Amino acid sequence: MSEASRREVRAGLEPSLARLWRYALVLSKARDTADDLVQATCLRAIERADQFAPGTRVDRWLFAILRSIWLNEIRSQRIREGGGFVDAEDALTTDGAREIEMNITAAAVLRAIDRLPEAQRETILLVYGEGYSYAEAAVALGVPIGTIMSRLAAGRAALARLK
Amino acid sequence: MSDDDAELVALIDNALDESPRTALLARLAADERLRQRYEEFRRTSAPLAAALDELLTQAPLARLRALLPPDEPLRQPSRRFAGLALRDLAAGFVIGLLVAGAAAWAASTFGFFGGKEDWRSAVTVYTNMYSNETFSPLKPDASLQAIELSALGAKVGVNLTPESVALPGLRFAVAFMLAYDGAPLGVIAYVDPSGAPVALCIIANDAPDAPMRSERRGDLSLAWWSRGGRSRLVIARIPEERAVALAQTLEKRI
Repeated sequence: MSEASRREVRAGLEPSLARLWRYALVLSKARDTADDLVQATCLRAIERADQFAPGTRVDRWLFAILRSIWLNEIRSQRIREGGGFVDAEDALTTDGAREIEMNITAAAVLRAIDRLPEAQRETILLVYGEGYSYAEAAVALGVPIGTIMSRLAAGRAALARLK
Repeated sequence: MSDDDAELVALIDNALDESPRTALLARLAADERLRQRYEEFRRTSAPLAAALDELLTQAPLARLRALLPPDEPLRQPSRRFAGLALRDLAAGFVIGLLVAGAAAWAASTFGFFGGKEDWRSAVTVYTNMYSNETFSPLKPDASLQAIELSALGAKVGVNLTPESVALPGLRFAVAFMLAYDGAPLGVIAYVDPSGAPVALCIIANDAPDAPMRSERRGDLSLAWWSRGGRSRLVIARIPEERAVALAQTLEKRI
């Protein structure tokens, strides 16, 4: 393994933790799963650091790994076990026992995001939370730009109905 | 949700191309109902950004930091994995970064390679991350295949149809565009019956005509040739002879 790659990946982990966790939470809608997903992502990134190109964006690389683990391991395992998904509509605003303290508007928006399908939640997070361009999001999610546009519009329409 | 909605949101996000942007602005000027819809969407921008920021503040950073593996050279991955809370997750994972992820960072950051001639290295890097799961879920119907190929062909300047890119024993999965050193780079991904990926890449790099050559890079086989200012490359985890045979099939058609 290239020591330069390993060092760069390692250095990129901690600054990315909060954003990785947010992405994991938006995907999984479960805080304990989000923790595990971030941990697995960090471990996988270190194990595969030789596949990281020094000088490129570690955060985007980590996001791709996280998404891959979510789709190929955790999400698919849930489906295989027949449990599907727990429809935790308040997953983004509660951590189980207690309501997260936040302003009313943010809580309402997060509840609305909670109710969106996974693909829309993920697209909104990448574009509006992480600053992906439409084209970057299309490549990252493996869908046409038109699909990105539709997902964002559907998500925004749900938010527009909040008032 | 209408097409108008998608375009209005894209306008707000400054993501519309010039032509549709101009057309939509003209319609907005003349259509009160459309302006109201635009305003409804526009008003969601700030609360959405604030809510996502809020979520970021909730990340349990201390706990996550504690979960980070120690900063030391790797031991055997299997031993490290055994100690994780995630040990009950599915084993035997193949990294399988989606098209996407791999392409996104690779395509945006190929500066570390050695210039125009090294596009094959860039392709090799992200192809290494494809797994049997990467493309196998993608099953476009014939009309979508034709649309994707037509769009990709227009970008790289090669006429492409489902028939001209069809390969024996392989199923078309997806066509998408990247860029390398400013040159449009189209990727057509196929899968075999097990889901194993095979990629045909076409780059408009103004390369002089060159006969087919092949090589091995790790467990990947590459076969490539150039004609009409476009280079073509077949790349996959297959024997080199098979890569060459697939490339020769394509060479007669594209």
